[in-house]
Amino acid sequence: MKALENLLARAAPHFEPGGRLSRFHAIFEATDTFIMTPPSVTRGASHVRDSIDLKRMMTIVVIAMLPCVFMAMYNTGLQANMALDPMKLATLTGWRHEIMRALGFGYDARSLAQCLFHGSLYFLPLYAVTLAVGGFWEVLFAVVRRHEINEGFLVTSMIFPLTLPATAPLWQAALGITFGVVVAKEVFGGTGMNFLNPALAGRAFMFFAYPADISGDTVWVAMYGVNAVDGFSGATLLSTMRSFTTPFDEASASLSWANAFLGFEPGSLGETSALACLIGAAILIVTKVGSWRIMAGVALGTIAMALLFNAIGSTTNHWFAMPFWWHMVLGGWAFGTAFMATDPVTAPFTDRGRWIYGFGIGALIVMIRVLNPAYPESVFLVILFMNVMSPLIDYFLVRGNIQRRKRRVQA
Amino acid sequence: MSAISPATGAFGKRERAALLDPILTNNPIGVQVLGICSALAVTTRIDKALVMGAGVILVTMLANLAVSLVRNHTPGSIRIIVQLAIIASLVIVFDQVLKATLYELSLELSVFVGLIITNCIVMGRAEGYAMSNPPGLSLLDGLGNGLGYALVLFLVAFFRELFGAGKVLGFVVLPLAKDGGWYVPNGLMLLAPSGLLLIAGLIWLLRTLKPELQEKD
Amino acid sequence: MSRLDSPRYTFIFATVMCVVCAALVSVAAVSLAPRQKANARLYMEKNVLVAAGLVAPGQNVGLGDVERVFQSDIKVRLVDFATGKLVPEGERNARDYDQRAARSDPAASREAPANDAGIKRVANRGVVYFVMKDGKVDQMVISVEGLGMWGTIYGFLALDKDAVTVRGITYYDHRETPGLGGEIGNPAWQAMWKGRRGYDDRGNARITVIKGQAGPPETDPLSVDGLSGATITSNAVTRLMRFWLSEDGYGRFLNRFRERKEVL
Repeated sequence: MKALENLLARAAPHFEPGGRLSRFHAIFEATDTFIMTPPSVTRGASHVRDSIDLKRMMTIVVIAMLPCVFMAMYNTGLQANMALDPMKLATLTGWRHEIMRALGFGYDARSLAQCLFHGSLYFLPLYAVTLAVGGFWEVLFAVVRRHEINEGFLVTSMIFPLTLPATAPLWQAALGITFGVVVAKEVFGGTGMNFLNPALAGRAFMFFAYPADISGDTVWVAMYGVNAVDGFSGATLLSTMRSFTTPFDEASASLSWANAFLGFEPGSLGETSALACLIGAAILIVTKVGSWRIMAGVALGTIAMALLFNAIGSTTNHWFAMPFWWHMVLGGWAFGTAFMATDPVTAPFTDRGRWIYGFGIGALIVMIRVLNPAYPESVFLVILFMNVMSPLIDYFLVRGNIQRRKRRVQA
Repeated sequence: MSAISPATGAFGKRERAALLDPILTNNPIGVQVLGICSALAVTTRIDKALVMGAGVILVTMLANLAVSLVRNHTPGSIRIIVQLAIIASLVIVFDQVLKATLYELSLELSVFVGLIITNCIVMGRAEGYAMSNPPGLSLLDGLGNGLGYALVLFLVAFFRELFGAGKVLGFVVLPLAKDGGWYVPNGLMLLAPSGLLLIAGLIWLLRTLKPELQEKD
Repeated sequence: MSRLDSPRYTFIFATVMCVVCAALVSVAAVSLAPRQKANARLYMEKNVLVAAGLVAPGQNVGLGDVERVFQSDIKVRLVDFATGKLVPEGERNARDYDQRAARSDPAASREAPANDAGIKRVANRGVVYFVMKDGKVDQMVISVEGLGMWGTIYGFLALDKDAVTVRGITYYDHRETPGLGGEIGNPAWQAMWKGRRGYDDRGNARITVIKGQAGPPETDPLSVDGLSGATITSNAVTRLMRFWLSEDGYGRFLNRFRERKEVL
């Protein structure tokens, strides 16, 4: 440890302004503060929207996401192992299965270790690619623009793969995170200046650019196709329920809400388990890193809109009857509410604004899910939409506040 | 050639500036950010962009010429209406010719040919340039602005067709995976927002190459 | 400047301007109208030939080529949807009949019966293109349309002389999502319809665009491969096909044709 410290101390002058390698100060700074305690700790506002020490805040978010990461690996493996036809073990090809064979891992859906390992072979490559490619762009812009590499990227790079289906091609993920980091963030000046959540922008890019690999019924379970048992559908609960042709109560009788809450169903890597997201949300709220107002707003908006649709009713669209507790465990609702809506940079910074923002997200999610058949999984689009609205919300609230005070002075 | 100014009798500096400035240094889309709407809608394929570009070139050129010819006789109170009438007539004629010659393309361009009437570039050049310059110069200015518009349209359409369908002008360049090749087309390129992103990218490039275009804030 | 600003001059200038512009526009419109009309018909008829497999998709064919094929091999007739009978040949020129225009003409159309294909009005008469071979009917091309995800889908369906087997299909006008539902315009997918059957053995219009892959036409004649990621468009195509094959569409006529009650 001492040797490392000495090495960094010796190298430091070269990276100072005027030094030989001053251009690459950002890389040095990032390495130095990653390994060592930074010599200068942020005291004032670390970026325009929030005043918590940025580094610690981002670390907490990453920790809060760990239950989701665990579920991403376990559930992906579980779904794949359950879908796999045991008779077709020998037909499995590809590097993942080579590794499993070499290390002696089986495909038993009842074994925690075997599911976890199988799933990790899908999550970890996606995560690694995201880190490497996104990190490359971060460093490049930091060097060219001479700003510091920001820990915000650790969160972005964690959220992004969790929103993808397990089978997402790695090169598409690389393009997606490139779009997210470059177009949604660095173009506007880097962390703190971006008005869109970079992970979501990257996810949206992939959704529109490669819809066949990112949506539909065939992408969610890694064992879809020739290796799956006969009659296996692979559809997410959301799309199954979207295509109900009989009244909701009747059609949903065979589906287990508890299972959906725990997350043992096909879906995006980290989004299936509402429980894991709830744990994460609790950590964020207790540590005051994530805004509880936003989360409560989303929940309220969802409840209000779902009740409204329940009251209106429809004979042709059976989703009108869907109760709000189902909305909350389907698709990306829980994950989006806990980790994406609460991104401090892209959410409003006034407290009342956060209520409005959250409520808008919740209401719009339900509205688009129920009314627009094209985008049943609307969470990420809705959050991006409200991202764009949030400066406007703040603007009106601040102006309203100023005017109220003016009137008070005049009175 | 009517484009030669009577004063010098040669293709002088002013003429060259009128023709070439709008192509790069004062590009209507890239610098003045005009005419964006149609640039998003007709750039999914190069052939569509070329026909649209040709339409705007013809209309700006002839509209500038006509407006300039009558500029000294036009009452100031109705000059905008006069310009509009000239532009609208030219656009309708172009639309009719297109339907008579390139019918399938005209179906795909649909309303956007008609919308050249409202293209800010055409109106802007007629009012801003042709009303105060002689016909020859106005013609060149119209040609230059049309070319500047068409150039951007072509570039945007080139990338959209190449990455969205693996083709250039209908010829397969990147063989698609579904047809036995290797390229997986980028669906975003076929949607209008990609036009916006590409134009933004072009503007970014233009401003990096020419720092004098950047506003001080 | 006073001359230019007088109301009298302004009025005269405006009048002259209007007359000149109006003349320009009307000359163009009138002189080009025949060409445009010919183009519009060529476009439709080319798509008929594409559906019948006589022209490859994307093949460049001119007015003359289409005209030649239509003169020698195609007979165009109208069908009365309500009775399923062919309209007598002399009554009107079927090639000039515009079914899309007739649908919005209250005198030539009626409100569509309740359907799930998003069809609001149906023309009273539909056009049928008979493709002849050695003096006998070889295929029949009928016009289909229905609501897709983002707009109306228009197409042609070519049926064999048995009035059941699909010979070809084309969707020439639609607004589906490029890359997903938009693949209905893909000739490779359209080719998958060949050899499928529009009706089951009991004569019900049962052809379905399924989820996933269908078997070969011999063993799985009532299914067509689904478009991945485009469930809504796939369902829309199923519904509109079934509508036009049903009694509300061409069904009555196709029935009578099968029973040899309608002959050319």
